Amino acid sequence: MQNNEEVLLKVDHLCQYFKMGASELKAVDDVSFDIKKGEVFGLVGESGCGKTTTGRSIIKIYDITSGDIFFKGVRIGAGKRSYINKIKSAREEYGKKIAEEKDPSKKKQLAEELKGIISEQRNNIKAAKFDQKNCDKEYSAKLVEEIKAKYLSQIEKAEGEEKQKLLKEYKNELRKAKNTKLVTQIQMIFQDPIASLDPRMTVREIISEGLIIQGERDKAVIDEKVYEMLELVGLVREHASRYPHEFSGGQRQRIGVARSIIMKPELIIADEPVSALDVSIQAQVINLLNDLREKFGLTILFIAHDLSVVKYFSDRIGVMYFGKMVELASSDELFKNPLHPYTKSLLSAIPLPDPEYEKQRKRIVYNPLESHDYSTFKPEMHEVAPGHFVYCSEPELEKYRLEIK
Amino acid sequence: MMNTENKLQVRDLTISFRTSNGKVQAVRGINFELKKGETLAIVGESGSGKSVTSKAILGILAGNSIVEGGEIIYDGKDLLKISEDEFHKIRGDKIAMIFQDPMSSLNPIVKIGRQLTEAMLLKGKARQRESRVHFNSMLELLRRSMIKAIAEGDSEKAAELTEKCKKFDKFEYKHLALESKYNEAHEAASEASFDLENIIFELSKNAAKDLKYRLDKIKSLALKSIHTYVVNEKAEELKQLVSAVSKAAAEGKKSDEYGKLIDVLTKIKDILSEAVAFDAPNFFSMGYYLTYSGEELPDMSVEELNKFLRKYLDDNFMLDFIANAKEGIIYSANESYREKEEAIAFLRRHHSVFEKETLDKKESYAALKSLAKEVGESIDKLEIVKDSLAYTFASGLKTEIDSYFNAIAKNEKEKKRFEKESAKFERLAAKGKAPDWKVVPASITDLELKKKNIIRQIERLCDHYEEKLAARATRDYDVETVAMIDYLKDQASGVVTKVTKTMAKNRAIKLMEEVGIPEPRKRYNQYPFEFSGGMRQRIVIAIALAANPDILICDEPTTALDVTIQSQILELINRFKEQRHLSVIFITHDLGVVANMADRVAVMYAGKIVEYGTSEDVFYHAAHPYTWALLSSMPDLDTNEKLDAIPGTPPNMIYPPVGDAFAARNKYAMKIDFELQPPMFKISDTHYAATWLLHPDAPKIDPPKTVTDRIERMKQRRGGTDAE
Repeated sequence: MQNNEEVLLKVDHLCQYFKMGASELKAVDDVSFDIKKGEVFGLVGESGCGKTTTGRSIIKIYDITSGDIFFKGVRIGAGKRSYINKIKSAREEYGKKIAEEKDPSKKKQLAEELKGIISEQRNNIKAAKFDQKNCDKEYSAKLVEEIKAKYLSQIEKAEGEEKQKLLKEYKNELRKAKNTKLVTQIQMIFQDPIASLDPRMTVREIISEGLIIQGERDKAVIDEKVYEMLELVGLVREHASRYPHEFSGGQRQRIGVARSIIMKPELIIADEPVSALDVSIQAQVINLLNDLREKFGLTILFIAHDLSVVKYFSDRIGVMYFGKMVELASSDELFKNPLHPYTKSLLSAIPLPDPEYEKQRKRIVYNPLESHDYSTFKPEMHEVAPGHFVYCSEPELEKYRLEIK
Repeated sequence: MMNTENKLQVRDLTISFRTSNGKVQAVRGINFELKKGETLAIVGESGSGKSVTSKAILGILAGNSIVEGGEIIYDGKDLLKISEDEFHKIRGDKIAMIFQDPMSSLNPIVKIGRQLTEAMLLKGKARQRESRVHFNSMLELLRRSMIKAIAEGDSEKAAELTEKCKKFDKFEYKHLALESKYNEAHEAASEASFDLENIIFELSKNAAKDLKYRLDKIKSLALKSIHTYVVNEKAEELKQLVSAVSKAAAEGKKSDEYGKLIDVLTKIKDILSEAVAFDAPNFFSMGYYLTYSGEELPDMSVEELNKFLRKYLDDNFMLDFIANAKEGIIYSANESYREKEEAIAFLRRHHSVFEKETLDKKESYAALKSLAKEVGESIDKLEIVKDSLAYTFASGLKTEIDSYFNAIAKNEKEKKRFEKESAKFERLAAKGKAPDWKVVPASITDLELKKKNIIRQIERLCDHYEEKLAARATRDYDVETVAMIDYLKDQASGVVTKVTKTMAKNRAIKLMEEVGIPEPRKRYNQYPFEFSGGMRQRIVIAIALAANPDILICDEPTTALDVTIQSQILELINRFKEQRHLSVIFITHDLGVVANMADRVAVMYAGKIVEYGTSEDVFYHAAHPYTWALLSSMPDLDTNEKLDAIPGTPPNMIYPPVGDAFAARNKYAMKIDFELQPPMFKISDTHYAATWLLHPDAPKIDPPKTVTDRIERMKQRRGGTDAE
């Protein structure tokens, strides 16, 4: 367990809606969680519940609908839907008030207030748009400043050959810094190692692609880094010039891992990295991820549906159901004290390699209509015990509190 | 005993693939049998030959495959040798398969509904045709042996018997027509009452969707359920209630208060569920009565009616017919016993042909022909449960003889190669060079062993026949006669059941409901891409079950799905298995799933079965190092330590290892593991494993600690749950 309390990634009221004809599909609906530095955060739930969408929203593959995503304290993703909704509701509210009000001076005052609210929210929207677009630019500008500060004074002092060398280095670094994006510090490992590797690229090209995009031009440096990564993930140098189809499933997934760690990321989003692999190979890849995590102090968002693997690998686990986070707790706590009915049903569905136990195992069926009555009390995220959050209404909260003791 | 009946037998199956790099030996001589109503799980890594085996059973091996030997026996036929036309009748109909990847096993440009009903419609037509043939041929066989048994030479009596058979044929169809009408009404009633329960529950929670549409459906179902033996007395009341539904629904919609509608629906539900519980009359005897008595049915309660009809049928026809049929069956059985005795004597006399020092090709094949003929005659064709050993004797023997003569040619070739290579090696060595290659030792097939196999094949049939002869006294012909009549009834029902498009659609929608797809009517007209992975897999299962198969092969059906869906799908397969007495071959690499599903487990590695036993044997008393490795490589809920990953990758099957294929990755490997393939060691009657560790001379090695720990934990957990 990590005792580090520094929050690396903060997801705040994230919503991700997709257009489906006239209606909207709420793939992720108001999800909030923090990932601390150095921990493994597991995200589980059935297929289609929005786990992968959450991961993809974080890495900015989608433009999020509403909510904020903070990475290392910088807002890298921001949606504007919530602000728009605020404007709408304010307009309605004040419209009614103004219509009812008879005193013209008060009417004017109300109209002023409305205007104030609208312009405030519009500013928010502008800020969100700006952050969404320019977080990378700002980050690279910051890097450029740093490099300038570091080199310029040195270059002035140096002379002759040394100056030339420094100048070259400076230009190189500057180019790289200009191309650097904040999001490259978040990398993704994909589920299907066959589909996620370009069949027409050699392993060297696949692994080094990120470096090249960043502006690295020195072949020797690239090769050196590629070899280093290959050895790190348990492959050998000779593999660099081969094509993906020449590898087995486990080796391909290792290539995927190598590609993601070459950018020296701080956060890795592992989207079901072992689901498509054989049992014996799964264990190899999990061990590899564990080793890398210790070596680089990586933080991992581990998306999976195999609960025994998630339990083994994660420090904290979030359970998602239909776009909502329903329970969030440390992994031991979650398996010891599952509170939300859906979590219970999920845990009761894990098959174990034990025939006698399997014959007795009864799956708990979760039916939201029967389990909850949210007509009077609206559900919210509540902290039932320290670090243990459940999505529930007030009466349920009381029930859960009793249950936990 | 029903559960000892072998549905499928695989013997010495060997399959290779021709590739540009050489011959890949995918399956190397595996043996297993599948019993009726059981689940056999095949566990192993990808590339271990699991899927190839299942594809061979279904006859859909890739074009570059070579079936080198062995046999797959189903229903008295060797599936590796029958023609494609014959296979058409079995594939999908008798043996169905659920594929691994639901994405690629559905046609992306055809609507789900069409894909579901396609097989039903095709099969409906085929089954009608086939059932007619089966029914006729069986009845004809029965008639002949009845005539032979009772009326040998007496043409009058023979004509009488023929007349009886015709009579049976005729009223049997009448019975089915009556029954299918009843079934329709009964099903409608039960379906409607089930729907009503849901809708009433949802209405009471104020959360009903698609109300109008569903009510329409219920209305039509309720009206359909009016039938003399379903909803009869309360038919008028039901009609009135049904006509009141729409009004109540409209009122409810206006005021958003559904109390009145719920009242009406509850009343309908009560009537229907009461009707569902009524006893059904005996349509079989009713069919006879209506066809031959020429009178109307007497007016009495169902129970009395059944007694009356039963008596009428028994007195007038059935007892007589059964007695005759029994005599026919006994005659045929005795006849075949006589033939069997002859066959045993013949086989014993002629197997000396195969005992010579070297076999003569011509003589051997001639002997094969005569033996096959003799055995073919000794088969009792009136047996409902086919004697697979006798049916496959000829093909099995031929395979053995073929492999003997092939081995002679191959041995010579191998000897020549070995001599040539070793000469070259010595030449180089004499020159003082040290070649960096070794001479591969000649792999000489033991001809004596092959000969023994041939003789064993013959002996096995002889023993089998002798057993049959010994069991002669205990045979219960009454039971067999009843089974025969049931078989005939079954076939006849196949002729009458006609599958129309609406019927297929209804059945498809019902199936979709059964496999847990919400709003099946809407989903029916959608394309596969509109479904999520779990839903798609459900569709695939529904398609596999649509044809009502005998054997279901599941090739990693849940690997791509998440736990809850996986659990649901496994429950689904288990439920269908119980309901329909399916035999299931379940291929997976997830041991948790195996524990859930399997009655018996076969662990495969590099094309061979390395361990074979009941699931308790394999999970609690695992004996093979590969099984240990599999068990310890996956974390369970209590694992905290580092995982024991199996090092390396499976061997390249173009050059299969000489010794135990797992030796290179096995930390318990001994010297002999690299030199000689271990045979199957018997641990108990049900449990076998192929590892030298079980040899009496081997050092005693305990399973790794993770495995023993885990078994210990399982015991504790079980103890805990028992105590509760």
